[in-house]
Amino acid sequence: MKYIIITIMLILTVTLNSYSILEKIEGNFVGNLDARSVAMGSASTAEAANLLAVRQNPANLSLLKGIFGTQLTGNFIFISENRTLPMYNSFDAYADDATYANNTNLFDNFAGGVFGNLRLMENKFSLAFLYHTFIDFTSNYDEEVRNNANSDYDNYPPILAKNLIEGSGSIDALSFLAAYQYDEIFSLGFKLSKLQGNSDWERKVVWSDHSLDIIPDLQDQENELERDFDGFLFQTGMNITISPRLNLGFSFSPKTELDVTGKIDTLDVAEATYLATEYYPIYNDSTNALEGYDIVDSLTYADYTIPMKIRSGINYAPRNIMRTNFALDLEYVSWSDMNPLFDDVYNFYLGVEHKLENSIPLRFGFSHQTKFAIRSDDNKNYANKIFMPTFSAGTGFSFLENFVCDISLEYTNRKYEALDLFPDSYYDYDDLWENPQYLNFSDRGWENPDMVKESLLKLKTSISYRW
Amino acid sequence: MKKIIFIISFLSIVLLWAERIDLNSADLAELKKLPLSEKQIEDIYDYRFHIKFFESIYDLRNIKSINQRTLNRLKPLVMVSHYEEQDEAAARRDEVYYQLERLGTNEGLQEGMSDVWEDFLMSPRNVNKLSFSELISFPNVSAIDATAILKRRANGDTIANYRDLRFTPGISYYGAKNLGNFIHYQQPPISNKIFFDYQLKYEDSPYDDDQKEMYQESMLRGYEGDPPAEKDQTYWGILDMDFHRASVMHKIRMRYMNEWKAGIMFNSHKSNENISNIETEKLFDNSKFYLGYQREFEFDGRNYIKAFVGNYRATFGEGLVMENSDYFSPRKTGFGFDKRILGIIEDASRTEEYALKGFALDWKRHNMNAAFFFSKDKKDAVVYDSNNNGEIDEDDAVLSYITLTNRFSNDELMDAENYFNDYPGNNNQILIAPRIDALDEQILGGHLEYSPFIGTHLGMTGYEAIYDRDFIVPEEDELKYLLIPDIETADEKWKITDNEVNALYSTKQDTLYDRNYRRVFGFDWRTVINNTTFQGEYAEMEVDGKFQKIGDDPSALLISSYTQFENLYLLSMYRDYDLDFDNPYQRSFSESERYDDTVFEKMVYGLNNTLLNDLYLNSAQPSAERGFYFETRYQFHRMLTLTQAYLDIWERKSDARRGIRFQGKIEFKPLHQLRFRLRHKQQIKRYDDDLDRGKSQADESELKIITYLSNFDRIQLGYVYTRVWQPPYLSILSDPAQVNGPDMAQASTLTDGDMIYVDYTHNFNENLKVIGAFSFWNAYGASFWDYEDVELDFDQSDKGYKTWFNIHSRISNNLFLSLKYKYKQFKTREIEFREYNETVTAYFRNVQKSENSIRLQLDWKF
Repeated sequence: MKYIIITIMLILTVTLNSYSILEKIEGNFVGNLDARSVAMGSASTAEAANLLAVRQNPANLSLLKGIFGTQLTGNFIFISENRTLPMYNSFDAYADDATYANNTNLFDNFAGGVFGNLRLMENKFSLAFLYHTFIDFTSNYDEEVRNNANSDYDNYPPILAKNLIEGSGSIDALSFLAAYQYDEIFSLGFKLSKLQGNSDWERKVVWSDHSLDIIPDLQDQENELERDFDGFLFQTGMNITISPRLNLGFSFSPKTELDVTGKIDTLDVAEATYLATEYYPIYNDSTNALEGYDIVDSLTYADYTIPMKIRSGINYAPRNIMRTNFALDLEYVSWSDMNPLFDDVYNFYLGVEHKLENSIPLRFGFSHQTKFAIRSDDNKNYANKIFMPTFSAGTGFSFLENFVCDISLEYTNRKYEALDLFPDSYYDYDDLWENPQYLNFSDRGWENPDMVKESLLKLKTSISYRW
Repeated sequence: MKKIIFIISFLSIVLLWAERIDLNSADLAELKKLPLSEKQIEDIYDYRFHIKFFESIYDLRNIKSINQRTLNRLKPLVMVSHYEEQDEAAARRDEVYYQLERLGTNEGLQEGMSDVWEDFLMSPRNVNKLSFSELISFPNVSAIDATAILKRRANGDTIANYRDLRFTPGISYYGAKNLGNFIHYQQPPISNKIFFDYQLKYEDSPYDDDQKEMYQESMLRGYEGDPPAEKDQTYWGILDMDFHRASVMHKIRMRYMNEWKAGIMFNSHKSNENISNIETEKLFDNSKFYLGYQREFEFDGRNYIKAFVGNYRATFGEGLVMENSDYFSPRKTGFGFDKRILGIIEDASRTEEYALKGFALDWKRHNMNAAFFFSKDKKDAVVYDSNNNGEIDEDDAVLSYITLTNRFSNDELMDAENYFNDYPGNNNQILIAPRIDALDEQILGGHLEYSPFIGTHLGMTGYEAIYDRDFIVPEEDELKYLLIPDIETADEKWKITDNEVNALYSTKQDTLYDRNYRRVFGFDWRTVINNTTFQGEYAEMEVDGKFQKIGDDPSALLISSYTQFENLYLLSMYRDYDLDFDNPYQRSFSESERYDDTVFEKMVYGLNNTLLNDLYLNSAQPSAERGFYFETRYQFHRMLTLTQAYLDIWERKSDARRGIRFQGKIEFKPLHQLRFRLRHKQQIKRYDDDLDRGKSQADESELKIITYLSNFDRIQLGYVYTRVWQPPYLSILSDPAQVNGPDMAQASTLTDGDMIYVDYTHNFNENLKVIGAFSFWNAYGASFWDYEDVELDFDQSDKGYKTWFNIHSRISNNLFLSLKYKYKQFKTREIEFREYNETVTAYFRNVQKSENSIRLQLDWKF
């Protein structure tokens, strides 16, 4: 019994206080990797000029020109995470949020692929292989706990502890794509991806020498989560050329579940999930919003579900004094596949390409995507929607004879509530603090959550070769 | 012989010409006959298909693969015929693109009118048939301009073209120029045609400071001991408002010429589900729609009739009786670009609370206008526990209409109220709250107008609104404690201005009446004498049941004169609105909106329900005031123009506070490409009291330098300096009208600030424009209004900067996109802030904030 209780405590600590509930559930989905279509708001279901753009719709493989081609992309992500706690004014009203931790990190990943086309009369057959990061678990969080001594004499108060979170690993995809086109009017395609990867996640509280000098018995805290993922993802798509000006595209990928193995500290993830399901009091409460339905499976680590997506798009090439392409995509994501608390949502993507002087492309785009964050109130669980408006822009140029370089910049900001990553009660040692009388070492719950504001700046550079 | 040579030569030329390939009509197979490589032929074809038709063979040089030598070789082999693929509508859109773009970005009060003006841009009206009221409904067309046109027509003359119009005796340059876009002279530019417009507006911007304050004030009060420090003690926390982001509007309008019209508009607030998530039955409840028919016909002269079913907008006279809009606009004169479209028009604007839904008829003749309208719609209202049963329910009375910043559902509101009420230790039990669709309102109204001669009319407007529940305003003492539950301080917090709240309309009064309606009626008139027009409106709201008796009820009066010369105009206006004239559909000229300086504005933290702050924040009704307003424009010289100057001297009726406001703008143009603009504003508000403890004063000066570069590119540099003197919290701490009050000895406080800005407009070509701007301010408590291309921003903070850019792309002849992104970083001076778990000992002086905003607008027209 003691073992179970300890395990549940461990799960609660790790589950609800992870780096970002949002990211823990799904990791960072690495989206579109073609710099050209990223600059155009990733609206590329009905059109593709480069190989990596066909990720949205495998049928677009047959739209690629040339007999053989390849593309390489470098993706650099600059993330700034601003974590705030609520402030109350002297009238006890909630006034605003004050930043207590700010982390800025730079991550990168790469992608590449090759394709070939074969034309027989009115029929065109295309094949391609892609390799790219599908989900990225990289994260870095650093927080200092400082004494509340007065900061006179131009000195900062001494550090009591450092709170650290480090995440690494990714799920990578090796994809095989095939497409068929008839008479440059109608294309069909499919993609099969082998998804494989791992994720390591570590959470630490490291006491400083200053603290250990005062209380030598202090023990560092460390939690670890290691997982391996394995599975297949299928996607199919269609493209119809209504006229030389107008293309329609559709793609579909079903709900996909990955096999997950691994451990939380010393406990197997499947066992941890089982114990949490059975004993986590919140979910056994009859007043649960889901009336007994268990949602722990998607909050713990033994399953990983990629929701079903249906996407449709148009691409319009009007007559314009600067050559122009306009693309618009609508995507349906069945988030309820992942968690019954989530709603299914529609995302939209929009992009424009103008060719200035009919040679220099100027691209810009916009997308609106929705994700979810779970919160609890009165022993009930809720899912709040997180909106991610994204603005993108980019350009490109050709060099040598058959090479094209595209560059894009994408900016997203989002905010969501999360629990304090390192609850205050852990530092409840009066001897460590110079003015403990001003502090209240009780943990903040959902009545006083952190507000997390994230800015994501993504720079992508693609080089394509076509023969 | 010569003859033979001539014939041979002629035939050769004809044959040669005949064999030439027309670059604008040849198909790919024909183009392949040219002595060019396959790539060059494809490039020519692509150019014509994707870029434009050839205007001359020299356009071939725009194609990368065609050099001069190739062009020389092609010259005898090709020709370029005039080719116009565009239909009439596309050609017209090209012609009026600039105006379409400008109207498409209009918001607020202008939004509904812009739709009508857009329709007239595409389907202009025949200037030789328009009536007086139709002519003055166009932007910047005055009654004097309209009279000039009608008098000319009355003489049997016909206006045949713009030159004819411009030289009509009495018409102004700007009148003719603006009217020119909306009219035709003989034949309309487009014959039978169905038009379709779709508009998407996506706006993701943070709540402004006033809105945040309303939602973030604590709803838990009266604690003994430590109060809770929880986000959920506020509407902000309990309704998860940190997750609110974008508001999205979809609007579809269709019409057949100017005859049949239909439209639907769906707008999701930041708090509501967007169109993809809303249930189907709620979709129509939350949408606005209309179906309309309008046409001209001959019956004893020219007649023009309009009929609408669904949502429509009704505007008459000077807006004293009826102008239904949710938006307030200060100093809306009804002249220049501040126009009203008189009569009935369709309504697919974002007006929600004061939208009229039902049917309406508008009939205009050369000497008579008549309109009739009926509306039945549910309205949001403030409901309070009038029967003292401890609940706000169906049996309770209504205090007022309310336009809500967020239309949370009644379930959400009630859940939040129950949470606050049941919170242990909370002594603030909510007894008054907004409710969605709480009031069933039926309106029956009309307008009749007769014009005995050109430029002169006499009209009357009236409406009766019938309600399904009573509006009851409690006696002052009861009202005071209802709104401010802290009985110990309510008396001192209740201020002299609050008699405006007290003067809200009641449908029940013990001594006089007991009914459930509101009746407002009025007279309006106008006459044009030479280059001056005199107009006005007088309205009364019946309270004593004697409809026919004039002068015994709360009233409102507005009279004005407008004189127009070629390089000068002068507008003089007088208004006088009674405090008791509580007409929710009044939108006439005023300096301030209703409830300015009342508990609804100044006492958010003390209100029983902080959401009542919306009564002030979104008030569209003018405040009760009396005053004179003068406005002029004068061009001294082609290099020097007083672009606008106005002076307003008024008195607020609720507390006899007087105000003077002056603003002047001068433009100096030494060169066409270089302009200096100077603006100065000065405003003083004070009581008529020698000791003058309540005086506040604001000055603002701005210098702007504008340089026009080639291709309409533009750089603007500007500097603003502002100073505000204000009494030290007099309005909160004491009754400013009280002689020997506690703050008598205190001095005024001075805050000042300045801002520097630069913006640059770059036109890549006629279809792509990018505007970028940067501004930096040091405000020390002062504030600035900043005009950002298509919208206004309010900057109020210690120190900050912002940068934004807006891309305007004309994707094709019928598809327009505007995408704006703004980043703003600023510090606010927040005193006495503490962390959630600390006692009040640690103070933050400055809080740094950053905000991101995105605005997207997509217009598709065909």
